[in-house]
Amino acid sequence: MSAQHTLSGLSWDRLRIPVVVAVLAVLPVFFFNPSYTYISRLFILALVFATLALALNIVFGHTDQLFLFVGALTGLGAYGTALTADALGVSPWLTMLIGATLAGVLGGLVCYVAARRRFTVILIAILTLALQLAIIETFVGARDITAGSTGFRFSGLGLEPLQNALGVYDHVVLYYVVLALLTGVMVLYHYIQHSKYGMAFDAIRQDEIAAEAIGVNVVRYKTLAGFTSAFIIGLVGPLYAQLDSLVLPAMFEFSVIDVLVLIILIVGGIRTMLGPIVGAAVIVYINEELQAFGQWRTVVFGFLLIVLFLYFRSGIVPFLDDVLNERLGLKSTIKSIVTD
Amino acid sequence: MDTGIQMIELLVDGISRGLVFALLGVGITVVFGLGGVLNLALGVFSVIAIILGVELLGLTGTLFAAIPIAVLAVALLGLAVDRSLLSLVYRSEGDERILLGIFTTLGLATFLDGLLFITYPSSYSLSSGISSLSVAGIQIRGSSIAVIGVAVAVFAVLYYFFSRTYLGGAMRTVLQDETGAILCGISPRRMRTYVFLLSTSIAGIAGILYSFTFEVSVATGFELTIYAIIVSIVGGVTSVLGAAIAGLLLGIVVTFTSAFVGAYISEIVLFGVAIAVLIVRPEQIK
Repeated sequence: MSAQHTLSGLSWDRLRIPVVVAVLAVLPVFFFNPSYTYISRLFILALVFATLALALNIVFGHTDQLFLFVGALTGLGAYGTALTADALGVSPWLTMLIGATLAGVLGGLVCYVAARRRFTVILIAILTLALQLAIIETFVGARDITAGSTGFRFSGLGLEPLQNALGVYDHVVLYYVVLALLTGVMVLYHYIQHSKYGMAFDAIRQDEIAAEAIGVNVVRYKTLAGFTSAFIIGLVGPLYAQLDSLVLPAMFEFSVIDVLVLIILIVGGIRTMLGPIVGAAVIVYINEELQAFGQWRTVVFGFLLIVLFLYFRSGIVPFLDDVLNERLGLKSTIKSIVTD
Repeated sequence: MDTGIQMIELLVDGISRGLVFALLGVGITVVFGLGGVLNLALGVFSVIAIILGVELLGLTGTLFAAIPIAVLAVALLGLAVDRSLLSLVYRSEGDERILLGIFTTLGLATFLDGLLFITYPSSYSLSSGISSLSVAGIQIRGSSIAVIGVAVAVFAVLYYFFSRTYLGGAMRTVLQDETGAILCGISPRRMRTYVFLLSTSIAGIAGILYSFTFEVSVATGFELTIYAIIVSIVGGVTSVLGAAIAGLLLGIVVTFTSAFVGAYISEIVLFGVAIAVLIVRPEQIK
């Protein structure tokens, strides 16, 4: 199988998720401080973007369908959740599923149409980019419903009773909520990779016609990939909004979400489970370090996007994997342990 | 106000906007058709031309010097980008090249946007210097006259170039049959360089024309790129004539919807048309 399993042996493959989640779970103990919410905000943001990148990894990484409307899907999740909660008078915890379904159905529909009409990757890219802009434009324009470009306050996803019972502040709770979601997505990702879905995705990505010839239902699997990714992205939406207690169109713009998510996915390593998490940590950190330089941040990100795609498309995780395997001879060691 | 007159005035506005769209669409079309690169940085070249135009106008005092120098400078920037970034992109083939093209030009757009914003954070526009005209009670804005005049001239030159000159013919050959072109001794890579120069020059001209009517900020660059892509899709992506007609039609449609229904609806109509064309006729786009 592909690169991420080379280090494997069975042990690491199974331990990966618990180890990573455990590490992420203890971080607040060291870094969170109620009087210094700035830092905790960054940690939550990194988890949010890691989840978005991992979701994009399924549809883009594994089925080659380039979604350039991650921002709009995030927005659909957030607006869908907040507006329906408001209209129905129920907790946003319940309507989160409505927001996510909205995003998921759109994602699935795009992939269904694209697969049926045999879209190439560029067509999907253009189609989703047009949707991204149309959706943001709708958020801005449909003022009566969305309150236009100034947006509205949103803070229904706190868990006050729990927060008070534990004596922690809101960011701690939100961090663990997002971590729970990320964990769920990691488990799902792991499941997909080791199931018939993963095999079907690989087959489709490598040669669509051959996959179809051996009986893989290409349209169904592509649609499923699109729905899954978009649904997860839709779930992240309201949590992302909860972080700043706001929902406004500018938060979901292409340049704010999509550019960052793409860089994260490539920096970390496409088609790997840990890549998005490593990438998110690195990029949120760089973003922070560059904060002082103002607009130079954009310059640096543009430069990164170019250089990464031209010279470092494999990403950090596969790179480290290779280094560990080849240079340190871990591969043979593990292999001998496994075979013994 | 007489509605008939108002309609004609809107139509003129629509044609003027449509011709700018058409130029932008051609800018995307030629590079995508010939090189398989969707240039997401196209609008940035337009913005650079506008800012250079404003600066040069301050230096030289006349648009007749400022505009040609600005367009030439943008073309040279295009040459630099072609020789450096695009050379790396053209090394790969097929889907891989398309993806690389999207990401490197997106990176370039972000990079240049950031650089521009540091020095030029406000809005810019140029005045065509032509006064409004009144024909039989119909007010025609000076900017519309300038835009229509220049755009029609550019299209005439483009038509002549593609149909009558050796270089234009060579470019079309590469578009139709790359192997055949190589056998005829035409270097596709060289043609791609020329076509990128052509594309960035057209984008520069389109940008300057756009700034006769609208205020432009650095953020407008991406907007212009999007208009260009939509026009190019609706026009069939590889057809220069198609892009020209699509641009003209979309410009008129957008002007009328934004006058009668609202600006944001008109934008959504634009995206809607593009999405519809993509879904109904994807096979026309390679």
